Formats: sequence, structure tokens, C-alpha cells
Amino acid sequence: MTSLQTPPTNSWWKKQDIKRLLLLTVIFSVAIGYFGSTVQAWAMGTPASESMQNVINLITMFTWVSAPVAGFVAAIAVSALLGKHHYGDNPPPEADHAISNSPRGNAAWIVVSALLCLFALVAGLVALQDQNSQILNSNAMRISVTGQQWVWNFDYPNSKGVRSSVLHLPVDQPVVFNVTSKDVKHSFWIVQMGIKVDANPGVITQTAVTPNTIGTFDIRCAELCGLLHAYMQNKVIVESRADYEAWLASQPDTSQTTWVDKNPKADSQGGKTA
Amino acid sequence: MSTTLTKTHKKALIERLNVFTAFGLGILSAVVAWKLSMALLPADSETAPLFTREDKITLISMIAWFVGFMTGIGALIAPFRWALGKDLSHDENMYYAGKDLGVKRYFKFTTDHKVVGIQYLVITMVIFGIGGILAMLIRTNLGTPEGGWIHPQAYNSIVGTHGIIMIVGTIIMVTGPFGNYIMPIMIGARDMAYPRLNALSFWLIVAASIPLIWGQFIGGISTGWSAYNPLAGQAPLGMNGYIMFICIFALSTMVAGANITTTVVKMRARGMTWNRTPIFIYGTVASVALALPAFPVFFLSQVMSGMDRALGTSFYDTARGGSGWLYENLFWLMGHPEVYVILIPAVAALMEMAPVFTRRPLFSFNVAVMGIAGISGLSVLVWAHHMYMSGWAPLLNAPFMLTTELISIPTGMLFLVLVGTLWRGRLWMTVPLMSIMALLWNFMIGGITGIYLSDVPADAFLHGSMFVTAHFHYTLMGAGLTGALASLVYWFPKMTGKMLNKRLSWISFWMVQIGFNVAFIGMFIVGLQGQPRRVEAYPAIFNRGNLITTIGAFTIMTGMLILLHAVISSWRNGVKAPMNPWQAKTLEWSVPNPVPLENFAELPVVTSDAYGYGRKN
Repeated sequence: MTSLQTPPTNSWWKKQDIKRLLLLTVIFSVAIGYFGSTVQAWAMGTPASESMQNVINLITMFTWVSAPVAGFVAAIAVSALLGKHHYGDNPPPEADHAISNSPRGNAAWIVVSALLCLFALVAGLVALQDQNSQILNSNAMRISVTGQQWVWNFDYPNSKGVRSSVLHLPVDQPVVFNVTSKDVKHSFWIVQMGIKVDANPGVITQTAVTPNTIGTFDIRCAELCGLLHAYMQNKVIVESRADYEAWLASQPDTSQTTWVDKNPKADSQGGKTA
Repeated sequence: MSTTLTKTHKKALIERLNVFTAFGLGILSAVVAWKLSMALLPADSETAPLFTREDKITLISMIAWFVGFMTGIGALIAPFRWALGKDLSHDENMYYAGKDLGVKRYFKFTTDHKVVGIQYLVITMVIFGIGGILAMLIRTNLGTPEGGWIHPQAYNSIVGTHGIIMIVGTIIMVTGPFGNYIMPIMIGARDMAYPRLNALSFWLIVAASIPLIWGQFIGGISTGWSAYNPLAGQAPLGMNGYIMFICIFALSTMVAGANITTTVVKMRARGMTWNRTPIFIYGTVASVALALPAFPVFFLSQVMSGMDRALGTSFYDTARGGSGWLYENLFWLMGHPEVYVILIPAVAALMEMAPVFTRRPLFSFNVAVMGIAGISGLSVLVWAHHMYMSGWAPLLNAPFMLTTELISIPTGMLFLVLVGTLWRGRLWMTVPLMSIMALLWNFMIGGITGIYLSDVPADAFLHGSMFVTAHFHYTLMGAGLTGALASLVYWFPKMTGKMLNKRLSWISFWMVQIGFNVAFIGMFIVGLQGQPRRVEAYPAIFNRGNLITTIGAFTIMTGMLILLHAVISSWRNGVKAPMNPWQAKTLEWSVPNPVPLENFAELPVVTSDAYGYGRKN
């Protein structure tokens, strides 16, 4: 990645300031990549699903891929600061050269940035395809999610109208969420599982995940939805299949479920709820 | 004959009108309209749309304010005179340009581009002052997890108002003061192409500000600056203030955009071919030209929002056949070009300064122009990356990811130009030079975090979190505002005739930049930890990051107050500035201080570009 700068004239790499530039580029690239990815991994915590693991990996990868560019720019800036200086109220003498262009340098820069861009795009498309295919999984359990100011409610399949405000999920079971809203826009975000989709009134949107860790995680509303938006937070409890079944059986029949087994193909065309 | 105009006749109408008559007539017409609509509008009933009467009254009063204010300032005189077949005489036009009026001309509908530039500079500073105070309220409330001392409704309103007011402030911060004052001189023109439109664009902003302030007292703007429907439909009456504010501001932007574009295309000095035109001019034109398609859409989105509220239509009401996604599309059709409206002129201003403070030519002028053009072209094709998670059109996520990531290529070109100019240059250690360094640093962080956000699966985690807030502050404030502050230091000697206090501007520079990075690195961390945006309270795990952000924010505030002090004291009794303190080669430095009314006694002829440093001729 250190090959970003102006391509060769005669033994250009032997010049003192080029050597320093290369050294600084390597140091800064490693420092930026290491610092960025370490802070990110620490802040994002332990993933609770494959999707979240993918998000963490993607961001880490982007950090390391962009680090050499950032490192190179930082190295030029620092080299310039280490070079000839001038203080005072009057300008320094003009530079002893008038290089105002370098076609090969420009071309190299543009090609490298285009390649990095292409790489980011391909990586993103692969991950996106992965995410989309989860929604089409026919073995997935479908849970209806309804946002309203300022709570989430969940309706479960294979039940007689079980409705809860704490989400229960069996571990390692693919889930598709059919998300809608009763009033304004909300955004359904399971933080540690790395999935999110807006809840729109009158429309069903979808997202999918397979939780792979037993534990309690956070659901937060990610779209300003009025007065108590900050408090629109619920928990999600991921438990073993047996615990989940036991919990489901123990729940009273509210007989007001909104759960519907939506066909995903109809959904992608923006079908409306009854 | 201006003397007879003022002395022998009784005062003509154009001499009586100023900002005071404007406020007087504006308030009077608002009160009259309010009384009349209270008396005449029928009560809501089962047959008429429900709950719209108060919205109607509010909007009618605000429109009356707007018409009254613009009449009172004198914006309508010239069109009326023209319609009556009695066009303005030369003397009257010179009066409009502020000839021999002294300080009074800053309080009138004055057409001189230099007066408009100063007016813009002052109003930008006022806007940043108010927006900054709101930011401090937000950060103080978020200093502790409980929040609590600001009521949630007031907090939401503060967040929304901070957002929209800072967006407006940053849109005008470069093209307003420097685009108006410096740009015409830089291209060797005597004034703008449409001087009256120039004055109009400024006074429209003043007219727009009152509905926004008014809105604060009738429920506030509790929807965030994006004012998504249906939340905006449900919001209190203050929302009408937002709607009127946006409509009038959009008019101002369109008028200014048409004016600046025409000026640059038609009025460049003889010999100033496109490859001899300074890069700042390209930045300014790209910015206002982008605003030309963007702001009519914004205007329209708010007209429809107002109709949904006041007339019972259902453009955005899903239950009655509308769609909230329609609003999101219209909003971001403006919203994404708009960030480049802010960014491009700020970066272009720094590219203008780079050769001056490194004493070498601008590196790859053509690449700089390509970068600006590339960003402008792509920026109208990326809006739906704000809607990846909205569920509007999941199939379009991939193409919008493509266009969004493509923008990194022209953005990289701007970096190339800046680092290429710095390389082996002789650095003149000044605030503008260090601002270039700061821009490289901040914009790099803003740009790389933008790549994370442009990626759909990563956005599934990051969208709507504090990470996004930190990201766009890095681009709009870390890059944009840094460029604007550098422009202020750089062009202050020309605009005021005084040098800006060096010591204070250095102190301010470091406090703002360090405070900024502390504040928003903290915000990145809480975003990655999972804190949503626009919350007034949060779980204890986000405490540390928020505290860091609050500390950084107060450092920024201190730095900005020091800069404000430096500006005021230097403007009043600073050291007199020489004609060309930076020994720069663009045309604005070739006119004397203070700049005479029509800039050039003799129009200049341009024979080379403005970056001939170190060239041995």
C-alpha cells in the first residue's frame, strides 16, 4: 500500500525526503489501522450474531484498507511540517521549483483510489447478499414487531396470541422480523446483533438474524419518534429452544395478536397490513 | 443628482425604508393577518378537516410577516417602478448601491456586493452564536446519563433547532460572506450580475429567521432538523415556523445561486479563461449551482408538509394513501447535495490559500477542477443512502452504495491537490496554513467513517446512531467550518481593512481543533457502543464517551468566544492592513483598502493564472 506516491523518475526512492516519507507512511498506517480497529473492536463489544460479526469485520477491514491512504496523507503533512519553515509577517521566498503537475502521480493516485473504491464496493455487495438471503430463508421463524410511541411489542408464531414487550428468541434459530408501526416512524435496532430496519406506519418492512449467543441484549429505537424516544428501549432474551418453548407456553393468550405469516415476495413490493 | 434627491425634495420612499421599517411593517401585517384569520376562519368541524384551524392561522400570519417585511425593506420598489414604466434613475441606483451612506447602508436594501458580504458575515456569526449556545445546552444535558434538567419536549426542540440553524449557517458561511464580498473582485468585476437579487438573497434570510424564532414559542421544532413525517404532522404549531423558515431560506438560496452562477459565467475579467479562473471561484459556483436543483425540492417538500398540516391533504399520510417515504426522498434529494454545497467552497477556499502559504503553484489545477465537478455530479445521485434502513426500496441499496462509494474518488482528488501543494513547499506558518493541515486530518476521518456508513450491512448497525452524528460533524464542521474560519482569517484584511489579531486567532485555532477532535472522537465511541442519536438520556455505559464529548464541546465554545473577541476587537481597533498582506496573486489583493464602490477604476486584464509562485519567467 505504500506505493501511492509519485511513480519513478531516476532513482527517486533514494532521495532523503522520499525515504522519510515512506517510513512515516508505514508508521502512520500501522498506527492509524491499529488504533482505529482496536478502539472499534473494544467499543462494539461481543457480537451476538453472525450479522454483527460481519459488521465488525467489515469495519475493521475498511479501517485497515484506508489506513495506508490516511497514513500517506498524514506522512506528507508531517514531512511538510518537518521541512522548511517560515514565521513572521512577510512571506517566505518562493519555492525553488514550480512543479505544478505530475500526470503519472495523478494517474497513480486515481487508479489506486478507484481500486480501493472497487474493493469496498465488492466487499459490501458480498455482505449485503448474505444479509438479504437471510430474509428469504424459508425455515425462519417469523415474528411480528410493532412499534408505537414509545414501546415495542412482539407477536409470536405457533402461539395463541402471545404478545410481549420483551423479545424472546431461541438460540441458533433463524428469525425474520416483520416490522411495522402504529403511529410515526420508529427504527427497530437489536444492537448486539447488528440489524436494523425502520418501522413505518401502514407498511411492513423486514430484517433477519440468527442469534448465536444465549444472553440478554438491547433493542433501541434509532429514529427520533417524539417525546420519549430516548426511553423506547426493550430487552431481547436469547435462550435455549426448551426454555423458549416453556416461556411461550407459560404466556397468557391475549387474543389480540397481529401476527400474520407474510409471504416475503409480497412484502418486497410493499404490501400493506390489514 | 444625489444631493438634490436628499435635500431639496421631501424624502423619497427609498430613503425612508430600512430594517426598522421592515420589522415594523412585518410585525404590523402579521398582527393584522392574525386578527383577521382568527375572526374569519371557520371553526374545525366534522366536514372541514379537523385540527387545522390553528395551523392555518399560524401560517397565514407568518406569510403576512414575510410579505410585510420584504415590502418594508424596499425589495418591491424596483420591480414596481419597472412595471409602472418608471425605471430607477442612475442616481437612485447609486443610492441603492449605498453611495455616501456610511454605516446606514448596512441596515438598508443595499445592492453593493461588499455591503451584502459584510451583512452575510455578521448574520453567519449570529447564526453560529445561537446554534453554538443550543449545542452547549445539548452537551450539558448529555453530560450525565439521566439528562433530566431539560424537559424532553424542549430537548427535542433544541436538537432540531440546533440542526437546522447550523445547516443554514454552514450553507452560507463561505458563499455568503466571501462568495459575495471577494468573488466579484477576484474575477475582476465591478459588482454581481444582479445586484438587487444579491440584496434580496440576504434580506430573505433575515425574513426567514423570524418564523424560526417564533416557532420556538409555540411548541418548538421537536422533530430533529429532518422533520420526518408523520412525526412532523403530529408536532405542535412550532412546526409551521420550520416550514416557513425553509420555504423562505430556499428562495434565498435559489436567488443567490442564480446570481452567483451568472456572475461567474458572464462577468469574468478580460483574459480570465476557465483555466486562469481561481479554484475558489470553481468551488463557489459548484456549491451554488448544486443548490439550484436541490433547494426547489426542499421548498416543495415543505409546502406539501404545510398543506398536510393546514389544509388536510395527505401527501405523507399512509393511512390516507400518501407515503412517509415520499417525504424522505424529497428531503434527501436536497439533503445530500446540500452537504457538498457546504463542503466544496470551504475546501476550495483552502485550495486557494495553499499556494499562497506554501509559495508554490497549486498542484494539478485540472485534477482539482475534476474533483469538484465529479463530486458535484455524483452528489445528486446518492440521496437514498440516507434511506438504506427505511425499507423504501431494498433493491436499490446496492446501486446507491455504488454511487456513494464512487464519490470517494473525486474526494480523493481534492486530497491529492492539497498534499501535492504541500509537498516540498516552504511553509509560512499561519492560521490558514495550519487550517489546511487540520482539514486533511478531520476530512480524512470524516471521509473514512463515511465509507463505513456507505456500506449497507455496516450501516445496519451504524444508521441512526451517534456514529452518524460524529461523522457529519467531522465533515461539515471539521472540514467545512475549518475552511470557513481560515477564509475569515485570510480575507479579513480585505473585508475590514484591519489585520486579525494573530495571537488570539492562534489560541482560538488550537482550542477549536483540539476541542473538536476530543468531542467527536468521544461521540464515535458511544456510537460504536450503540447509543442512538437525538436521545436526551442514555444507559450508564455511554457515560464516559458522553462526558468526553461534553468536555470537548466546552473547549470548542471557549475557542470560538476567543475568536469572536479577536474579530470584534481587531475590526474596531486592529492594525491597519496593507493592500496585499499575504503577497497573493489573485485580483482581490490588487484593489486598495477600503475597496472603492465599484472595485476597479479600470477593469483588469488577466494574462496568466494566479498561482505563478516560484516560476522563473
